[in-house]
Amino acid sequence: MSSTQMLKGIIDGCILAIIHEKEVYGYELAEKLEQYGFDSFSEGTIYPLLIRMQKEELVSSTLKKSTAGPKRKYYTLTQKGEDELQQFIARWEKLQSNVNLCLRKQ
Amino acid sequence: MKHGLSKKSQTFLENLRLYLFSNGKDEKEINAIVEELEDHLMEAEARGKTVDHIVGESPKQYMMQLSNEMTTDTKTWVKFIILILFGALSYSILTNAVNGQLSYSLLEILGSIMISLIFIIAIRSLFKSVAANSLSKAKEFTLFYVVGLLPIALFVGLFYFNRLIETPIFHFGSIGTILAVVLTLGFLIGMSLWTKTWVMLIILALLVFPDFLFRYIDISPETQLILSTILTFGGISLYLYVNHKMSKQQTN
Repeated sequence: MSSTQMLKGIIDGCILAIIHEKEVYGYELAEKLEQYGFDSFSEGTIYPLLIRMQKEELVSSTLKKSTAGPKRKYYTLTQKGEDELQQFIARWEKLQSNVNLCLRKQ
Repeated sequence: MKHGLSKKSQTFLENLRLYLFSNGKDEKEINAIVEELEDHLMEAEARGKTVDHIVGESPKQYMMQLSNEMTTDTKTWVKFIILILFGALSYSILTNAVNGQLSYSLLEILGSIMISLIFIIAIRSLFKSVAANSLSKAKEFTLFYVVGLLPIALFVGLFYFNRLIETPIFHFGSIGTILAVVLTLGFLIGMSLWTKTWVMLIILALLVFPDFLFRYIDISPETQLILSTILTFGGISLYLYVNHKMSKQQTN
């Protein structure tokens, strides 16, 4: 299994966590993900995910003037998004400890 | 805004817009995502990254991913279909009325509707394939031309079948014909005002004008047919192409 396949679903949670930290726009978000070590996937992948999260009302967006000129779309978490993030953290912790148990104490 | 972008990125954004449009996506959503990606690409290129880094290895697959998440707005396409269907109808009424009273056979009516629908489907798949696969300019132009000629070929076919097969005929009579022409002209002008585009009138003029022109020029009927076909569909292709380029410039 490639790491891209493993990432599916997990990357959603990470995006929520990054937006939770601070209001971001697309490029910033991609850059943050890269900084955290997710460099195997192409940056554009975040946009289909962001569109879906917006439809699911996990994030909302506002247009703001940027220094460069064109308006920029900034994302923030909705209440539903905050809840989803908490659930993701709980799921991830459970999953992580299960995987670790499997790998270490066979 | 866009001049900062590399040619490759610009082409990608143009193709994406065309692809999403052909898939019947909501116009507002299309503009939003294209603007967002444009902003992203500008910032990425300023830091020395290329479009491949953002889009991945297959632009086609990336376009599909985006398309799958976006809302389909069938209203726009229904509007186009109605516009083309009524456009074909108006053309037929105007050209036939010039030559006398209107009468249509059942086969003609059904056939014309079918041909219009085939043409719409052909245009739509043409847009999609041109957007998703990077073709050479020559190939692109050939494809556009072939699809432009498709309805002519089908109408010629219909014309011959109509002679072979007998179906009920609807006669309009002289008052009916005048009424139909007035209604058609009224409809055309109203439509142009409502949609704020003169596309239908321009295309109809391109379709009817060559025939008028050739009445006053002495050339053989064969040359006439070929010339009027080339003029008409060449003119329409050119008009659509220029219009497409212009609307893209406006939105950027």
